[in-house]
Amino acid sequence: MTTIRLKGGRVYDPANGVDGEVRDIGIRDGRIVALHAQDKVDAEYDLTGCVVMAGGIDLHTHIGGGKVNLARMMLPEDHRLNRPRDSLLELASNGCCTPGTLETGYRYAQMGYTAAFEPAMLASNARQAHMEMGDTPILDHGAYVMLGNEELFLEMLARGEDPQRIRDYVGWAIGASKAMGVKVVNPGGISAFKFNQRKLDVDEDHVHWQVTPRQVVHSLARALSELGVPHPLHIHASNLGVAGNIESTLATIDALEGLPGHLTHIQFHSYGREGPKKFSSAARQLVERVNAAPNVSIDVGQIIFGQTVTASGDTMRQFANAELGNPRKYVGGDIECDAGCGVVPFRYREQSYVNALQWAIGLEIFLLMDDPWRVVLTTDHPNGGPFTSYPHLIKLLMDKRFRDEQLARLHPDVAAMADLREIRRELSLYEIAIMTRAAPARLLGLTDRGQLGIGAAADIAVYREEADREAMFATPEYVFKDGLLVARKGRIEAVPVGGTHFVEADYDPAIEKTVEAWADRHASISYRHMKIGTDELCSCSNGGALLACKVHGRGRPL
Amino acid sequence: MSAAGVQPRDWTCPFCSLLCDGLALAPGPVLQLRGGDCARARAGLAAFDHPAAAVSCVDGVPRGLDAALDAAAARLGVAHLPLFGGLATDVQGMRALYRLANVRGAILDHAHGEAMMPALRMLQDRGQMFTTLAEIRNRADLIVCIGTDARSSHPEFFRRCAPAAGREAGGRVVFLGAGGGTPGAAEIPWASTVDALCAEGDIFDTVATLAALVDSRRLAAVPAALAELADAMRAARYCVLVWEPARLAQHGALVGEALLRLLMNLNRKTRAGAFTLGGNDGAQTANAAMSWLSGLPLRSRVGQQGVDHDPLQYATARLLDERAVDLLLWVASFTPDLPPPPAALPRIVLGHPALAAGCAQPGTVFIPVATPGINADGHLLRADSVVSLPLHGVRDDGLATVAEVAQALVARLASGAAAKEGAR
Repeated sequence: MTTIRLKGGRVYDPANGVDGEVRDIGIRDGRIVALHAQDKVDAEYDLTGCVVMAGGIDLHTHIGGGKVNLARMMLPEDHRLNRPRDSLLELASNGCCTPGTLETGYRYAQMGYTAAFEPAMLASNARQAHMEMGDTPILDHGAYVMLGNEELFLEMLARGEDPQRIRDYVGWAIGASKAMGVKVVNPGGISAFKFNQRKLDVDEDHVHWQVTPRQVVHSLARALSELGVPHPLHIHASNLGVAGNIESTLATIDALEGLPGHLTHIQFHSYGREGPKKFSSAARQLVERVNAAPNVSIDVGQIIFGQTVTASGDTMRQFANAELGNPRKYVGGDIECDAGCGVVPFRYREQSYVNALQWAIGLEIFLLMDDPWRVVLTTDHPNGGPFTSYPHLIKLLMDKRFRDEQLARLHPDVAAMADLREIRRELSLYEIAIMTRAAPARLLGLTDRGQLGIGAAADIAVYREEADREAMFATPEYVFKDGLLVARKGRIEAVPVGGTHFVEADYDPAIEKTVEAWADRHASISYRHMKIGTDELCSCSNGGALLACKVHGRGRPL
Repeated sequence: MSAAGVQPRDWTCPFCSLLCDGLALAPGPVLQLRGGDCARARAGLAAFDHPAAAVSCVDGVPRGLDAALDAAAARLGVAHLPLFGGLATDVQGMRALYRLANVRGAILDHAHGEAMMPALRMLQDRGQMFTTLAEIRNRADLIVCIGTDARSSHPEFFRRCAPAAGREAGGRVVFLGAGGGTPGAAEIPWASTVDALCAEGDIFDTVATLAALVDSRRLAAVPAALAELADAMRAARYCVLVWEPARLAQHGALVGEALLRLLMNLNRKTRAGAFTLGGNDGAQTANAAMSWLSGLPLRSRVGQQGVDHDPLQYATARLLDERAVDLLLWVASFTPDLPPPPAALPRIVLGHPALAAGCAQPGTVFIPVATPGINADGHLLRADSVVSLPLHGVRDDGLATVAEVAQALVARLASGAAAKEGAR
């Protein structure tokens, strides 16, 4: 039984309404407990001059699975530099845009993050995704299974299957892949591309199945709502990166008809068609709509200037952008009547009008949103930029002067015209704590994470207060994972295996007959192997804790 | 070392990278395949007939497992730069070997490293456009096998490509420059037609010509058969190019790059993808696991200085020829067909029990290990590098897994116990 006292830190714990109060935090056996002043402790840390927050939670970061691994293999140039190890606990691992899993775990932990979620797990690649996440040390993890482009679902939708059967299928798919939620990517579009369709608007028919993205989005959102899955449908909307795509983004919000939905990397979906270059910010339109739609949450997918790589399931859009690759390489794949993958290396340039505007749009969205509980800080790692740029991004959001300096370096038209110039808001530490821990925890249904209340898991980041927020957030003084000190001033102190978050939803098992019949006709593996059992998950995820979240539906008898 | 008997239809075959599943295996001293008749699977299984008690061996002398582990740890403990070769193991094996490689530093390469390099170099220089087996079953109306008959290394390939139930007609199969003995129509019963075309010059010229024709470039002399094939590829709704890097001569990556350019062109108007045959004996798995753990693929050196990837320098044959390494740790857990290369340096072999006889000489520590899918559970990645499948042990032969042996070596090296033998 280990008891620790964190003494005298300034605590930001928005889930419990704590805004910068100086208070002590007690830890016993990995949980936060109330300690009296006279209680004996095994260790006490003097946190005078420090800011205390729950461990960071990244709810959208491509850290594991086939396309990330292909990106690693295709970009040896991203891995030439070896960061000096300052701890013998670290095994060799490197890379910046697509680091090895070991490096990913070390770097996130060094930055005060204690959980990360892979947003695009293909059902057919789920084992590998869990293996890679299991080899990402320290962090807890989980993944959203990609649905809405697999032929079985589209076939069910096309033949007008009862929504309850769709719900059961979605429940089955979550259970089979051991997912934490469901993501839809270019709804129907990945499949449509396999049928040689090159564009799919929200109300346009899939050339083969004759269903629309609107139907796909609505039926998945409804299924999740009925299953009671905490995380809303995670939506990578239609027409990513296309000028004028704000229309399809707003139409996608409409498609939800009030059901919960999380629009991810929304920056890439908030483009107008105004101005001489026919490419403009639609951040105000977007935010106005999201502010008025309490069922909708977003993460931003901020771009960061410099080299990165885009790895996406959206083959339709990735193939269209293949020629923009820098360096000029392209990986694309059609996968198992299930999904796809497209990888395009990319360099965001300050002097590019489009890139500069993308940068400004992302920041505008952050700064215009009324409700920080519905906007999560992400760069869509690595698609907008590597996760290691979060401290830089936090500084941009907290420091207007710094932001203006950066803006002045950009393409002159953007520097002179962007709405961003007029936005004076500087986010507070409280708001940053919401966007990086409390809100993602709430959106994922993690009741005992992302907060510092009594009984919560002791995932804690302690930052030395500094005026330079980038430096402050880059290297926390201490990071605790389940009460264990895992990093101190950037040095890794312990390397526990993280746990796997996944949802266990109730569904009518009769649906399995439908899936099995489909598998017998179409799949390339036995139906039995389409499911990952709990024991197998344990092996895949390297023996980490299995953090099952049981849900029992909402508003329906079982 | 879990090896509970599997249910009927649950066995996954580990003997090639197609990882056929839905098969059954009759357990017992002689393992019989049911539900399939693959020559490669039968040969793989035959190597497990009537297992004798497998014993470890140090310098030709039978020793207990602990003594063999002590000896292996001692030799690793004094090596300056070991090569971890073979790497015919599963995900758990690679995870543990990676940790072991980090203890003192090592270079990692697979037994099929040379064959894997064209595909890897292509990926690193240009990328790839791939498809997978279920897409082929459900979509392909033209399959072009370039420079390979596909079935020699992957006997079940065409069965796995058979059109999904309910599709109107099977597609056409064309072998281009695949030499004699390619399968005929009778052997691919689902195909609408099966054609074998000769190469136009060598394979590099043939692919270049085909690519030019697909791109509608004007050529001085247009070989009729290739022109017809190019037209068919452009007309196909979903064309699949099958290639096998192991069959290509030196600089095979150039063939891969030409195929990629061809595919990118084809995909401007219609849909197409490549299927790369390779990755047997756990090569796909070893390369993927190495890449996710370290950030870089095989033919990399790991250690306190980080990771250094050099696909030319860190090749097994070259390292051994140049005596650039001073110990070989060889892993071959699937078949006896991957013996360690002869080398005048200390060797530690974690091998199929049938490799024992060839590893009974001075300077060699032999530790028999379990085979995922036979006498251990495990996971392997399929040739397409997307699908991974569980392997189920059907028998318990009392053998340690590669992961268990590697973990035991890490523990010994960490405790310093290895120093004892190392002093001799």
